[in-house]
Amino acid sequence: MQHEPVVRLEGVTKKVSSKTLVENVTLDIPPGQVFGFLGPNGAGKTTTIRMMVGLTSISQGDIKICGYSIKEHFEKAVSNVGAIVENPEMYKFLTGYQNLRHFARMMTGINDARIQEVVKLVGLNNRIHDKVKTYSLGMRQRLGVAQAILHRPKLLILDEPTNGLDPQGIRELRDYLRHLCHEEGTTVFVSSHLLSEMELMCDSVAIIQNGRLIDVRSLKDGSIEGQDAALETEFMVDEPVKALSILQGGTQQGSLITLKLNRDEVAEMNARLVQAGIKVYGIHTVTRSLEEQFLEMTGGDPIG
Amino acid sequence: MGNFFSLVQNENMKIYRRVRTWVMLGILVIVNLLIPILFSMVESGGQTTIWDSVILSSSFTFFLCTIFSVIIAADSVAGEFSWGTIKLLLIRPWSRSKILLSKYVSVVLFSLLCTLLLAGISILVSSLLFSGAAESGMLPFGKSGMAFTLQYLLCDYVNLFITVAIAFMLSTVFRAGGLAIGLALFMMFTKGIFTTLFSPERYVWAKYLIFTHMDLTNYLQSSEGPGGITLGFSLAVLAVYYIVFLAISWYVFSKRDVAA
Repeated sequence: MQHEPVVRLEGVTKKVSSKTLVENVTLDIPPGQVFGFLGPNGAGKTTTIRMMVGLTSISQGDIKICGYSIKEHFEKAVSNVGAIVENPEMYKFLTGYQNLRHFARMMTGINDARIQEVVKLVGLNNRIHDKVKTYSLGMRQRLGVAQAILHRPKLLILDEPTNGLDPQGIRELRDYLRHLCHEEGTTVFVSSHLLSEMELMCDSVAIIQNGRLIDVRSLKDGSIEGQDAALETEFMVDEPVKALSILQGGTQQGSLITLKLNRDEVAEMNARLVQAGIKVYGIHTVTRSLEEQFLEMTGGDPIG
Repeated sequence: MGNFFSLVQNENMKIYRRVRTWVMLGILVIVNLLIPILFSMVESGGQTTIWDSVILSSSFTFFLCTIFSVIIAADSVAGEFSWGTIKLLLIRPWSRSKILLSKYVSVVLFSLLCTLLLAGISILVSSLLFSGAAESGMLPFGKSGMAFTLQYLLCDYVNLFITVAIAFMLSTVFRAGGLAIGLALFMMFTKGIFTTLFSPERYVWAKYLIFTHMDLTNYLQSSEGPGGITLGFSLAVLAVYYIVFLAISWYVFSKRDVAA
């Protein structure tokens, strides 16, 4: 990456008594991205996030946020971070506005105008002066986002942000995160086990399983495979057996023939089939969803 | 970064924006109004002075004052854990020590408020109801009623102050408000029994027990306590315990991994 990473995890390990929750995770999170953190339940996502914000000590390794170590320069490092860790719990006996005032007082340079601006941004204008105990989960989630972005952090960490949101809420959150990321240049780090959600929301994802980082990949711009990579391509034909011999390879399933081809080869194969008098009803590349890739990678491994 | 005062302001907001706090303060005010009135009804002969009334009244109401301060102290840290808001609190650019200190300061301020409220109301009501100028039997020789009363209240406050520190420590260590309240009140009510069982007159080591020293009112009547302990010695023992309690709170709070 051309930019200095916003977050740098250096061989981070977390041990609790004899159990290793997170093992030697090294990861750079580049600025200005929505970065997904994906893993099944119990993989160590939340533990990693807790270490990133200093809620939990780091057994080995270090985490640097904007160049500051969370261990040695906690106050400097964490002032660049806004976060919701797990559920957005607020002081229920205070109003939404009082909750925001509370967190605003803990930072420097947040005036009332900024609070109003954030309230408007998350769409809580009408209810901000009501007590939080009267809020729905979706509204608390919005208030959670509001407190996290009050001080315009460079890094926004959201742990399972779509938990308990309705489809409308999820969509709004997604649009909103994209806006933050692309308009204000905030780096957003989102953890989730909802794969389809991550696919829509993130620019890159890191996949963690059993406390180990198993993959980091980009999801946008044709992904890491690039333009000219050979992709799984399906041909739907009327005479699959004959077609199979012409294509010299591939697998047949009903009227479908699947084989790995790049762009030019697809056109060429199509021409050959047509010349041989085979009817080609359809050609499409098989894009495996993140979900399929994810399940393939993590297998059916049990938790733990 | 920022100033420490705003942290204390936050903690105060979390205490005084709760209905519970106002119910407690309300009860404290009402009880402090009622008890001198009750005394004036049962008292006969007009012998009771203002200061007799204040001391008698506060010997009841100070329990209430201690209980309420303990409740606030016990909830200060444990509440944040049970609400889950501790996670939001600790990811701000403030060290854990400062956050803990701001909580402790707000708790002490609350206990002072309760005590001043108690003293103010009972002195005011007593002075309206009683005018007896007779030499009180309760007063040690050579002390004015007012000086004795204020010293008495100060001793009560020291007792409360230590009890609150215990509740605050238990709240931080166990993260359970109920347990902290229960244990702190248990100590408050049983310290008399402990002192009787383990009197410094019988066991030398008993003079290092905290129970022996929490009630300093004995020193108002005599300069020497049981087993030959002095006021200075008592204060020194209390100071050591106090520092240990706060050090334990601080250590546990700043080292703890915050997990669900």
